[in-house]
Amino acid sequence: MENPRAWLLVNETAKAMFGRMEKERPSLVFPPLNHFSIRAGDVVEITGPSPSAKSEILLQAAIHCILPWEWNGICFRGLEMVVAYIDLDCRFDVLRLAQVLKLRIMSAYGSTHGTCRDSDKVSPRNSFMDSQADHLDHELFLSCMKRFLYIRCYNSSEFLAALKTVHHGSTSSREGLGVSLYVLIIDSIGAFHWNHRACQPLTKDGNTWEKLSLEKLTENVVQEIKNIQDVQPLIVLASKATIFGSATPTIHAHRGHSEGLKNKNKDVGNNFSYREYMSPLWQSLVTKKAFVGISDVVSSDGRNGEFPTYVCEWIKPHEDHLYKFVVRNNGICMVS
Amino acid sequence: MSLPHSLEEELPTVNDSFLRFGASHGILSAEKALVHVPSVIDASTKDEADLGVSPKGASRTLSNFESKCLRWMNGVELLDDALRNKRFLPTGCEGIDTLLGGGLREGQLTEIVGPSSSGKTQFCLYVASNVAVKLCGSIVFLDTSNSFSPTRIASIVNQICGPAVKEGQERRIKNIMSSIHCQSVFDIFSLQDALHELDNTLNMQTIREGTKICMLVVDSVSSLITPILGSKSSQGRSLMVSVGYLMKQLADEWNLSVLVTNHMVSGGGTSKPALGESWKCIPHVRLQLSRCPGSSICNVSVLKHTSMACNRSVDFEIPN
Repeated sequence: MENPRAWLLVNETAKAMFGRMEKERPSLVFPPLNHFSIRAGDVVEITGPSPSAKSEILLQAAIHCILPWEWNGICFRGLEMVVAYIDLDCRFDVLRLAQVLKLRIMSAYGSTHGTCRDSDKVSPRNSFMDSQADHLDHELFLSCMKRFLYIRCYNSSEFLAALKTVHHGSTSSREGLGVSLYVLIIDSIGAFHWNHRACQPLTKDGNTWEKLSLEKLTENVVQEIKNIQDVQPLIVLASKATIFGSATPTIHAHRGHSEGLKNKNKDVGNNFSYREYMSPLWQSLVTKKAFVGISDVVSSDGRNGEFPTYVCEWIKPHEDHLYKFVVRNNGICMVS
Repeated sequence: MSLPHSLEEELPTVNDSFLRFGASHGILSAEKALVHVPSVIDASTKDEADLGVSPKGASRTLSNFESKCLRWMNGVELLDDALRNKRFLPTGCEGIDTLLGGGLREGQLTEIVGPSSSGKTQFCLYVASNVAVKLCGSIVFLDTSNSFSPTRIASIVNQICGPAVKEGQERRIKNIMSSIHCQSVFDIFSLQDALHELDNTLNMQTIREGTKICMLVVDSVSSLITPILGSKSSQGRSLMVSVGYLMKQLADEWNLSVLVTNHMVSGGGTSKPALGESWKCIPHVRLQLSRCPGSSICNVSVLKHTSMACNRSVDFEIPN
């Protein structure tokens, strides 16, 4: 900065600032969590029993992030940023990512003239033949896949090491790809809970040999995430499996006032009680929180058979509304 | 991809001064360095003497971690690995193969749940025979309840291959039997041992060429885990989760398809798979078998899958 004073004195209109924020810290919009905007600095926790499409939601977010806003005049509305996916459950299926990404690209090509907002700008040159489209698809597909970084962790030490190297990785990706890390995905944050619950520290003294305790682990994880957030704008998405099943209702004070809702949706209501097991330290880091579950309702689209319906509810910020969605081949669709 | 245990052995660029700095703060292993180094450095920046030494060593340790132990892969590499190394192993039951898009995936852990006598063991034996017959590779069968039956394997093999002259049949059975390795395990610790041993064997296998081990069957895993759960203490669950991770690690690193079986327990009128909520996070694919008593038709439904909608089901028959 040559002249700090000049930099300080610049006045910016609200509109200019809004535009700048949109550009620097775009919001992540993906179903079913599209009701509140998720921006840099947010730590979003997605809680739910297994299976409740948690990993699928994370996949949606990743795809939204790695797709470009537009490509050859075709609008994808993505962010074109790097995603780092830390897989603690070791269950990520790259074929599913490839499938959804390809279908998204294909459908955007298919509906270029219909739904794209910038369709006016699409020049005739871009309305190419199929073979050409295939070729371009592949190029786009590869460039998207390169923005997806993945690591698998089999224990908590590897997890900590991975968090420490995220920043290194993102710097090198910025040099290679020209874009920086924007979304960090952790699936699922509670994976090593039992391993650490069982081993309590042998002594209280920090300098003697001890196994990594649960508190110490969470403390370190939270610290590492804060460290990364200090250096660059970042959205953290973490899924959390409910490992205790239904618990006593006394723990769920926050659900007390939505009794009516629960009765209305008896088929899903019993999925909604769970016991919190992550330490308060992590809880205080989380800025937004959603609960997902599976309902007994089965929806059918006539062609591809039946799909189970999932439900999603915001817990923080609290909202008394159940969003219903189904998982189809090409990703998550909301149902009203 | 495992972390080095001792700093100086695995990380040659860590110099003496960093080691001394670490030792003075009780940091002797790489694992410990991960947890403590940043906070120690923060604390000791006030300490002028350490200032010159610590951050340098720490950042060097970090870049070493990155290059040696941790491999961030991008989507292209990941997809390439999946397409090249992770095959679908055909189960031999047509309905199930269609349902799963080709069979059991290598690199994944598939769990079969079902009530007693729903055909879980039969399914395991059938898949193992089929994989051996189709020459996909060798199979390791960990048997926890003495349910492995060579005669049953032989009869399944004869069914799959069709009739042959007696001599040819015997040779064929011999060949196939030699690619199915069965081992009895009766508690969770011997299971852990067996898995570690398998890891070593697979390590050796990369050196000398032979038939590749492509499948691991544990029938049934729940009979080993159930006895250690129960109590209030979390030791049992910790063991369960670590065995699960061990199997997933084997599956991914050595491209094995892992097949485990689990029984059902009834509670509150409905029956559900044993081992509870924590175990649910372990398998990639969960299939539920059911069979009407007396009938030879089994029904299999997908309870959980990494890339397909659940709750689809199909009927199949394992011939006698």
